[in-house]
Amino acid sequence: MSEPIAPPEQAPARPESTRTGPGRLLVAVYGLFALSASARAGVQIATKFSHAPVAYLLSAFAGVVYILATATLANGSPTARRIAVVSCSVEFAGVLAVGTWSLVDPATFPDATVWSGYGSGYGFVPLVLPVFGLLWLRHWAKRAAAQRTSMPAARDEAETAGGGAVDARQR
Amino acid sequence: MSSVSGALPTTIIVAGLALAGYALLMTALNRRMGLVLLVALGVLEILLLVLVATIVVRLVGGGRPAGLPTLIGYLIATPLVPVVAGFWGALERSRWGPAVIAVAGLVAAVLMVRLHEIWPVIRV
Repeated sequence: MSEPIAPPEQAPARPESTRTGPGRLLVAVYGLFALSASARAGVQIATKFSHAPVAYLLSAFAGVVYILATATLANGSPTARRIAVVSCSVEFAGVLAVGTWSLVDPATFPDATVWSGYGSGYGFVPLVLPVFGLLWLRHWAKRAAAQRTSMPAARDEAETAGGGAVDARQR
Repeated sequence: MSSVSGALPTTIIVAGLALAGYALLMTALNRRMGLVLLVALGVLEILLLVLVATIVVRLVGGGRPAGLPTLIGYLIATPLVPVVAGFWGALERSRWGPAVIAVAGLVAAVLMVRLHEIWPVIRV
């Protein structure tokens, strides 16, 4: 195996922002869904909107939610994290509501959305993604709270720099 | 009209899944991005570019799928997958860099199935 082992000091090191560490994977998957959901909805609305208007509008809505979550998780500032919590919550509620709706009333969904059948067309990734997103954001909310109580002086620096100051200190 | 040979998409599926498996192993072993993963991504990129070229040749030759706009979108997005994943993963100096590469490998495999659904002459 020629892949370098992560240096020892990095193994327990805490990620510097919501976009690093596990967040790197999260942002990648969110970006993937942002692109695929919005591009798909765009093509469907432009070419055959009357075929399944409800499904296509819901796809477009899902695309907007994914774009918002991707951008805010990649940004990682306190304000961005608050918006990310809202978009991940809306996303989770959306996949549960649309998933149930698509099973109860299949006639409204002649064509699938990202969230139909709880995301079954996408390997149920749409169902688990917001859960991981919210867990990741909760981890960050706790960290910010701990930072506020333990080192109030460093708080503004670390928070406003999106973790950049922490990054510089570690190197 | 004859079909595009299924050999290349099948190769891409196998390569994508193998890359995903190796990358996930690197994540499990707490390794970060290295040369092997970047070379493997490069190989996947070349395979995808060759596939896109054969499909474009088929389009220029007069073939038309039902969902042409969707196919064009896929032809643009597909070669970007390893490139974007490579940059995004290389920025990460922890085990989560290879995890991003694993996603790219899985996505490449899934895209082959989607391409076949969009235009069945693209065999898998």
